[in-house]
Amino acid sequence: MPLDNREINQLLQSLRANPYRLYVVETPHTGYLREFLVKEGDEVTGPSGKWMERPGSPLFVLERERNPKTIRAKISGEVAKVRRELEGKFVEAYQPVLEIRHTLTQKEIIAELLRKTLHIVTAPERARYFLAPDLAKRIEKEGEGRVVVKPGEELVIMSFMKRETPIVHQGEPMVVFRLFFSRGQMVEQGEPLLGLCLEKERPYVEKLIARVKEEWPV
Amino acid sequence: MSDRVLIANRGEIALRIMEACENLGLDYVCVYTPGDEQSLHVKLPRKKGKHCFCISSYRDANDILAVADETKCTAIHPGYGFFSEDFRFARRVVKRSRPLVFIGPRWEVIRDLGHKLNVKKLAFDLGIPVIPGTINPVYSEIEAEAKAEELFLWQEEQGIEPPRILIKAAAGGGGMGIEEVDELDQVRPVFRRIRSYAKRLFGDEGVVIEVCIRDYHHLEVQILGNMHGELVHFGTRNCTIQSIGRQKRIEIAPGFDPAYTDYPFDAQRVLDEITDYSLKLAAHVGYDSVGTWEWLVTREGKAFLMEVNTRIQVENEISARISRIRGREPNLIEEQIRAAFGDKLGYSQKDIGFEGTSIEFRLIAEDTKQGFRPLSGVITRFEFPEYEWLRVRTHVPRDEEYRIPTEFDPNLALGIVWGRDTSEAEKRGEQFLKHTVIEGYTPKGEPLKTNIPYLLEKLPEILKFL
Amino acid sequence: MRELQRHLADLIDRVLYLQDIKGEDWGGSSYLLEDLRRLKERIFELSEREFLDILKSLENRLEILEDRAARSLTPYEIVRITRNPQRFTLLDILENVYDSYTELGGEGENNVDPAVICARATISRRVGGKLHLHQVIVIGHEKGHGEEFRNGGSAKPWGNEKALRYMRVAETEGIPIHFYIFTPGAYPIEDYPGAAQQIARNLYFMSKLRVPTVAFISEGGSGGAEAIGLADIRLMASRGYYSVISPEGAAAIEGKLKEGERPSRELVEFCARQLKITAEDNLRLGTIDRIVPEPPLGARRNDYQFFKRLRYEMLRATDEVVLKTKSLKAFRSYALRRQKEEENPPDEFDVYVRWELSEVEIEKLLDLRSRKYREMSAHVLGRKKCRFRGYFEKTQDVGMRLYHDLRYGVLKQGQKMIQRVMEDLSGEGVVLLKQLTEPLKSAYDLLAARPKRTRPKVVSGEAAPEEATELYVSPLALEDRTVTCPNAEKHGCPDIWVPDLYGEFCGVCPNCGHHFPLEYEWYLRNIFDAGSIKEFNAHIASGNPLGFEGYDQKLEAAKKRTGRQSALISFQARIGGISLIVAMLIADFRQGTVGVAEGEKFIQACDRARITKRPFLAYIHTTGGIRIHEGTLGVVQMPRCTMAVREYIDAGGLYLVVYDNNSYAGPVASFLGCSPYQFAIRSTRIGFAGPRVIRETTGEDIPPDYHSAENALRRGHIQGIWDRRELRKKLYEALLTMGGKNLYYR
Repeated sequence: MPLDNREINQLLQSLRANPYRLYVVETPHTGYLREFLVKEGDEVTGPSGKWMERPGSPLFVLERERNPKTIRAKISGEVAKVRRELEGKFVEAYQPVLEIRHTLTQKEIIAELLRKTLHIVTAPERARYFLAPDLAKRIEKEGEGRVVVKPGEELVIMSFMKRETPIVHQGEPMVVFRLFFSRGQMVEQGEPLLGLCLEKERPYVEKLIARVKEEWPV
Repeated sequence: MSDRVLIANRGEIALRIMEACENLGLDYVCVYTPGDEQSLHVKLPRKKGKHCFCISSYRDANDILAVADETKCTAIHPGYGFFSEDFRFARRVVKRSRPLVFIGPRWEVIRDLGHKLNVKKLAFDLGIPVIPGTINPVYSEIEAEAKAEELFLWQEEQGIEPPRILIKAAAGGGGMGIEEVDELDQVRPVFRRIRSYAKRLFGDEGVVIEVCIRDYHHLEVQILGNMHGELVHFGTRNCTIQSIGRQKRIEIAPGFDPAYTDYPFDAQRVLDEITDYSLKLAAHVGYDSVGTWEWLVTREGKAFLMEVNTRIQVENEISARISRIRGREPNLIEEQIRAAFGDKLGYSQKDIGFEGTSIEFRLIAEDTKQGFRPLSGVITRFEFPEYEWLRVRTHVPRDEEYRIPTEFDPNLALGIVWGRDTSEAEKRGEQFLKHTVIEGYTPKGEPLKTNIPYLLEKLPEILKFL
Repeated sequence: MRELQRHLADLIDRVLYLQDIKGEDWGGSSYLLEDLRRLKERIFELSEREFLDILKSLENRLEILEDRAARSLTPYEIVRITRNPQRFTLLDILENVYDSYTELGGEGENNVDPAVICARATISRRVGGKLHLHQVIVIGHEKGHGEEFRNGGSAKPWGNEKALRYMRVAETEGIPIHFYIFTPGAYPIEDYPGAAQQIARNLYFMSKLRVPTVAFISEGGSGGAEAIGLADIRLMASRGYYSVISPEGAAAIEGKLKEGERPSRELVEFCARQLKITAEDNLRLGTIDRIVPEPPLGARRNDYQFFKRLRYEMLRATDEVVLKTKSLKAFRSYALRRQKEEENPPDEFDVYVRWELSEVEIEKLLDLRSRKYREMSAHVLGRKKCRFRGYFEKTQDVGMRLYHDLRYGVLKQGQKMIQRVMEDLSGEGVVLLKQLTEPLKSAYDLLAARPKRTRPKVVSGEAAPEEATELYVSPLALEDRTVTCPNAEKHGCPDIWVPDLYGEFCGVCPNCGHHFPLEYEWYLRNIFDAGSIKEFNAHIASGNPLGFEGYDQKLEAAKKRTGRQSALISFQARIGGISLIVAMLIADFRQGTVGVAEGEKFIQACDRARITKRPFLAYIHTTGGIRIHEGTLGVVQMPRCTMAVREYIDAGGLYLVVYDNNSYAGPVASFLGCSPYQFAIRSTRIGFAGPRVIRETTGEDIPPDYHSAENALRRGHIQGIWDRRELRKKLYEALLTMGGKNLYYR
């Protein structure tokens, strides 16, 4: 389902006009919010380093069962809407605590674009998803954008109602170009899981990426 | 009482625990995870002004205990599933610096009876019949083959045709890591396969070899004990009607009814036998809560102890429905809570009588034609009739649309009917099922299926050896 | 005039060299340099006469300056001499000391590792006007004079592997080896064959190399030096250094500097002084045998006098090694004559010594080498050479050996017979036999089927050891709190309740299998049969043999905190009834670093295992390497302990190594890395140098899991990864499968 150039231009234009995303940071679990380590307006960074070995900036300390845990930023951006009133209080799980206004990076712009251009495998149910072990192993070995899947091969395992259901590739052999979820992530029904493309479409997609890289400075 | 119970569960059982707490005059606190906000187990306590905390998962012990501490709870009821048979959780609850009452058996009992093989060993030593096979996990191939040969021989002696054995992971369960074997030649390769599977999944290479019993009824004995050494039973149940994944769908109390159908053996003797044996093992381990002893009864009337469930069961209420303590119907969840807080029974076995038959139907959104595939979606209409002989236990609201959460079994409701005899109960069951309406749609927009047609189809099969 | 010009240029070079060593503004050298340069500019204005006069006076000034410099050399300045690009290198030696040579396996850059050179060479000696040629193999580091590709003489693992290959060649051909050590340290990469593991292999091989070996040290950088340093005689250049760590490295540790920070010159000087790295220091400590004198400010690449001296010293050292194996009398008279020549060695030798050895002489050579290394550094433990004591120890040793020979050597045959009979017998006789087959009983438990009917009885080959009845629980478990698994982000592990984690879970995350560190007592109590541990040599104490300033207090603190005298615990114990000897390095005592006391205890444990014919287990709770505060006395524990291991294995022993937590550097690169059976507990890190050192020396970043046990397994450094919860079972199985029926002795 490749888009024509006009549509791509439109998409890029809208992204250029508003190159931000708001990420709401929630409490991962209950506990006492001991202290905030950032204030509004602070710049924070997500995990970095060649192997993502450097963790993100510390945001706040959440203590549960005498285990003070520093919650760190998973994405870079500017801190906003810090809910100071929670400081020192017992909080429930999944409480919004602050927001990070994140400027889209070149890589993410590309991801946005790919969602529109690739053959997308969507989540059939709201469930947790895991990459099929065989595929995960191959991707780890060969790298994203290299592995070709044949019809009948397992792509993703859906953990749904305590059962594990495999999602199987259908149609022509395709290249697994992008993953849109992380291991065990809860994905809403209809959201993209994988982006595939035919081997012959690859040059087109790669050209698109090159174009963004050119137009979108790092 | 200034006690406060944290209800670490969801759905129907959470509601039953709330009700029991209210009857006993106990305060309680609820927890839930996102996706369950519509469930009555969240809406009801909120309406009553009770604490209701959002936690990351019903399986997160840390969140549950953190909420318990924050709300100054003194006890935790785990319900069924989740932490109910987790001896580590039970141990942590009582051993932590701020100990709480765990509403269930002592953790040592959970541990010792939670391991199928250990139960087998305990039972074997007490002379309680268990499925013929290995008592200890087998690690060596040679030993496995010798044992398999012995079991094949035994079956030939018994005239069981064709002889068949099961090779399964000692630490496994729920139908995982089990294979059937017909020939001695297959034993070694299957043994090797299961052993490596067990090693990979459970970290223990132990393998169990048993005779494969195919024609049987699944019976249960409902036990109640307490820390004062008092021990009673509330009769038997028959849970033979199960889905292909060995999930129960219809349960009946009592376990056999000779007045309703004929048995090729003395049914009452078998029921008495399994009750006595169950009490024997319960007394041996000092069982101190509600619990269920599961038995296999073959067509020949041979009974084998299978396992012990150290928790309140889904089907607890049918046992209560047919039991009368000095003429009054008990509530087993209340009894369980009383036992945990150290109350005495206040009655004994001779005060317990039985009356009639009770049947429980599990109403589930599933496609029974396609391997009992669970279904998700939205329920738009949910109606059931009201009779004095019927109880419907459900967390599904009837005044609004309800989205079935996808992380749990799509259990919708339990329908419990009672009749003066089995025929009456059966008729009433049919009446209930025929007048219950569940409508909705799946994410793909198709009408939502339930297992009601399946339950109607299976109803005539109850209690019978076909 | 041209000559004068050259002379002037030479003087300028000398000043620059001086400045390199002492610092640019030292002793007015900059003025002298200025004067020399001015003279160079005026070269055409002056007459030859005038020029010569000024030159002479400047040279005078320079000589005075040089003399002063030489007399005030600090240890760190010696390091700078050693590292100076003008210093002689191995290729200079091959050119000037040897008469001819053929480089093997390399030509400049075209080389598996240009930092290591191997050559077949001839060295000549003149006796009574006649020229005799000796064949040798030369193996050493080539620093080069500033060429990048030589990597400063830092050998890569495959460079050391090449060295080992040519040692084998020398052994096959029966010709002596001359080792030349010019290395700041081995290049710290883990790729196969592995920096540490290859050094260990080299040491293991050199300990019983069947030809005479002589090593010459110019720059002896710790483990890298040992890779080709276990020789019969070790010579050292008078302006060389031999150290456990570079003074800068020691300063970074002592000063607790952050990565990238540079230590102050004072701190580096302090460390260089404390580490006792000079030739005189090492001679006094007994880690080298003799010093080869250099000019006061060090020999440079064109110092022909020095090369002459070096040739004399290499010939003499090789002669001595050879003569010692032949006749003590001949050796003594030879040594005496040479001693007289010390000050001014002659051009000619008065004797010609053939360097070939007979089988008997080779045995003698190996025996002498073994004794040499076993004695090295032992003196600091204050064991006085008491004749009676030595005698008693020896008789005890002989007595013990006799007993164990009898028990497991002679009886072994009988035992095998019994076993065979036992396997044939039906169940009835078994009870009787059980007592006879005592040490093997757990392996041959008879498992009878239920006596319903007569069924085939099964002899189980894989009986598990009995579980310890009462589990020791770590004191870490006594806290009501939770901890987060380090892999929580990756594997979604829930927080773990501490009493569960350190109690039932044995410190293992039940979700991802990450192993949290546990104290060594846990292993002592849970791995071995209850009450079976009998410790020995607990009294041997770590000391401060170099008098390292400020170290006494640290050592005292470690002793007080742990209640132990050293980082190594040696004991006898049983696992499932199998008796074995264990050496255990513990993290709590100075990070499990190895010094003289630890080395000595290891050797004694190894010897005890050999004499009592027991399997030997080295359990490494953690080791941070060689203890830097003991300098080269620590470093020589590498060859010493490897020697003991080699002798144990050659005698038929089963040597197992189990790594836990962190195991790095020297010990891994010697007595641990040479074991044929090395296993790691999951989540262990094993390596040669830590990530920081790697970044600083190679300039490249490494992935966070670079040293993980999984990667070590992938690279072939270890033989397997074990789960802590199964350690007892795994050890038992390993003892049975690897020891088999010959558990006690091969």
